[in-house]
Amino acid sequence: MLHAVEVSFAYRDGGPTVVDGVSLAIERGELVGLLGPNGSGKTTILKLMGGILRPRQGSVAFEGRRLADWPRREAARKIAYVPQETHAPFDFSVMEIVLMGRFPHLGSFALEGPEDLAVAQRALDATGMSAFAARLFHTLSGGEKQRVVIASALAQDPELLLLDEPTASLDVGHQLEVQQLLSRLNAGGRVAMVLSTHDLNLAASLCRRLILIRDGRVLASGPTADVLTPANVRALYDVEADVHMHERAGHLTVTPIART
Amino acid sequence: MKRLLLILAAACIALGAAADPVPRRVVSLIPAATEMIFAMGAGSRLIAVSSYDKFPPEATKLPKVGALLDPDTERILSMRPDLVIVYGTQTELRRGLDRAGIAYYTYEHRAMPDIMATIRSIGARIGYAAQANALAASMEQALAGVRTAVAGKRRPRTLLVFERDRSSLQNIYASGGYGFLADLLDAAGGDNVFSDLKQQSVQASTEMILARRPDVIIELRYGQSANDSNPSRDLRAWDAIGSVPAVKARQIHVLVGDEFVVPGPRIVDAARRLSQVLHPEAQTR
Amino acid sequence: MQHVRGRLIVAVAGFGGLLLAALVAAPLLGTTSISLMRVFDRSIPFADNADAQIFFVARLPRILAAALVGGSLALAGAIFQALLRNPLATPDTLGVSSGAALGAMLAISFHFDFAIAGLSSVSLSSLAGSIGALAIVYMLATARRRGLSTTVLLLAGVTMTAFFSALTLAVQYMTDFADTFRTVRWLMGALDVGSFTPILAALPLIAIACVMVATLPRPLDLISLGADAAAARGVDVQRAERLALISASLVTGAAVSISGPVAFVGLVVPHIVRLVVGSDHRLVLPASALFGATFLIGCDLIARTLFAPIELPVGIVTAVIGGPFFLWLLVRRT
Repeated sequence: MLHAVEVSFAYRDGGPTVVDGVSLAIERGELVGLLGPNGSGKTTILKLMGGILRPRQGSVAFEGRRLADWPRREAARKIAYVPQETHAPFDFSVMEIVLMGRFPHLGSFALEGPEDLAVAQRALDATGMSAFAARLFHTLSGGEKQRVVIASALAQDPELLLLDEPTASLDVGHQLEVQQLLSRLNAGGRVAMVLSTHDLNLAASLCRRLILIRDGRVLASGPTADVLTPANVRALYDVEADVHMHERAGHLTVTPIART
Repeated sequence: MKRLLLILAAACIALGAAADPVPRRVVSLIPAATEMIFAMGAGSRLIAVSSYDKFPPEATKLPKVGALLDPDTERILSMRPDLVIVYGTQTELRRGLDRAGIAYYTYEHRAMPDIMATIRSIGARIGYAAQANALAASMEQALAGVRTAVAGKRRPRTLLVFERDRSSLQNIYASGGYGFLADLLDAAGGDNVFSDLKQQSVQASTEMILARRPDVIIELRYGQSANDSNPSRDLRAWDAIGSVPAVKARQIHVLVGDEFVVPGPRIVDAARRLSQVLHPEAQTR
Repeated sequence: MQHVRGRLIVAVAGFGGLLLAALVAAPLLGTTSISLMRVFDRSIPFADNADAQIFFVARLPRILAAALVGGSLALAGAIFQALLRNPLATPDTLGVSSGAALGAMLAISFHFDFAIAGLSSVSLSSLAGSIGALAIVYMLATARRRGLSTTVLLLAGVTMTAFFSALTLAVQYMTDFADTFRTVRWLMGALDVGSFTPILAALPLIAIACVMVATLPRPLDLISLGADAAAARGVDVQRAERLALISASLVTGAAVSISGPVAFVGLVVPHIVRLVVGSDHRLVLPASALFGATFLIGCDLIARTLFAPIELPVGIVTAVIGGPFFLWLLVRRT
């Protein structure tokens, strides 16, 4: 569905290369994790995949067409992006935030109609935030805000959802909540997801496939069980870790031991 | 006996030192004071004047030491004056002069009667009392003459404008009921349309002017604004309020000169020129 | 939540009606009582009809100027607040007003004496100053490849404001006391334009800016939550930000060239409007323009009647009303 071929990017002309010759592919309905340390270029890769940034070299193609050739709103109807944090400087209500996700379908001039309200309502239901529709966004907790922004992305009716460190600022309870939400949303196979994270255990528990990123390059890529090895953890984080299957949780867990 | 003589001698010396000698090196930061000093014949006593002094011509040849906002304290001190005429608000300068032990005369600018009082006061201070009194007396007489010439005549309602944006009716400033412009207008036989407003300057909006219907509009030009590249276009701005009697009767007069804004000896000329405009038929000369 | 369409109609009708009422009532009110009969009495030649002249020369241009200036500043304020993602932004934040002030100051202090098509040199210079400031800020903020950086924009604007203000003070220090006073007075705002010329001259600029603004409201909603998220939703962020910057600056420059900078309108009116219509910019922008016009007509009415026959500079009235109101808003929010 989405292919990146030898993509390179630097934020400034002559500045450091943040993404260096990255190639990856995302298939329909997948749940992929971009795993790597802080500053490894994961967020940048995500933005390149979403068309927010244009690669300096290489290309990103979606459904066979270069992303740069897609009209903006058409691309936004297929690919949605959830940033790490969202701050509302004005008193928007939760419903207003979610309805902003309808922009790719409406444009600057069309006003929201009953179908748009229905889509927004469904998105709120799917994220468990229906009761909050009339609340002001800025009064919500971090986890609640994150779920509203995910609902807003769902309102775009996308085929691919890109999430930047979706649980980074959340406590373990809210982390599990969001994790379960994402898992549930992906379960139907309708929405593929790519999330960037540095959290080894989130990657292990949620993602079926991992792409390991270090210094802007792909270190390894493949099913989680194959790729999440102590050797790779050492290569990514310079940390000696223990990786084993946790019976009760049903997925791999990573326990850091020492820095190497 | 010897001791008594010594004490007497010391006392005489002390008294002699305490008695101010007549100032011979005078610095004036106020154009009005400069004109007063020249008019009373004491121009030779001046060693420096303000940056804004333009009259008389002799004054422009003297060194300039700043003005109200930017007096050049160092320069003033370096000239070793024995009297400096300063504004009441120049507290920093006065402190500097105090520290250097230099005497100063504090000038206060109020209304027309104070001008004569100031002339007499400065005259006494610099030892030209007789000449100053004569000057003040002749000014009072001349002004009285102006008043007499227009006494009993119908006083036209007058708008005395001293500030206006070029070629427009915006930011018109006119004389209010107080201040020396108001006094000048009164002496010259005019009835100030803003006499009820107890302030020196009034920002006159078009509505105010239309409502008060002046018979005569006098525009004062001085300093930089005296040079106007297109006076007729500038005056046509008044046509927008043509219902005002002054505009309809084409009684808009422009008077150019510094004498209108320097409250010194030349206010007599200012008063005469104003009365010429207001009462052309009543001129005695 | 009601339909946006319904709320939009109600907002525009409501604020529009308020403006219409103000436009009709304000020329009839003032320190001088005039008779409407006489004003429209065609038998009296205009040059002799004092009541008509008060209505058509003194009051009507002033009220129209108030409407145009108030609407423009309020609209610009709302746009800048969205563009900079900061509810405390004003039309002055990016240096457009201080550029205008410097232009006006130079015209006043150096006695520029060119009047083109009935526009005073002060108006023209202030417009040139604001466009100059916009150009500098724009170039600084787009210098980096990735389009308009709002951080750089803000820094550039604040720096420009400080720089222009310093220049203005320097010129003030060097010039005549009288000119200094005239500049200070200009900074307080004056709506007594006395003729329709400055209004007509500013209209084309304001019209161009309004055309630019037409596509902006919804994108501004999205951009206010973050440029990346907006881009991902299909907004052409670069184009929208540039249009927003240019249109808001143009409309501010045009307004300031008519009346000088009028404080607080651009800051307070969008907040008042948001209390009534919410934060959706499709409502906030038109409502701010309409209510800004009404607000300034009202403030001008107070300015010219409160201490009759003395008239206050309108900027003082807007500051006295706007300042405490804004404090109340801040307290309320925390």
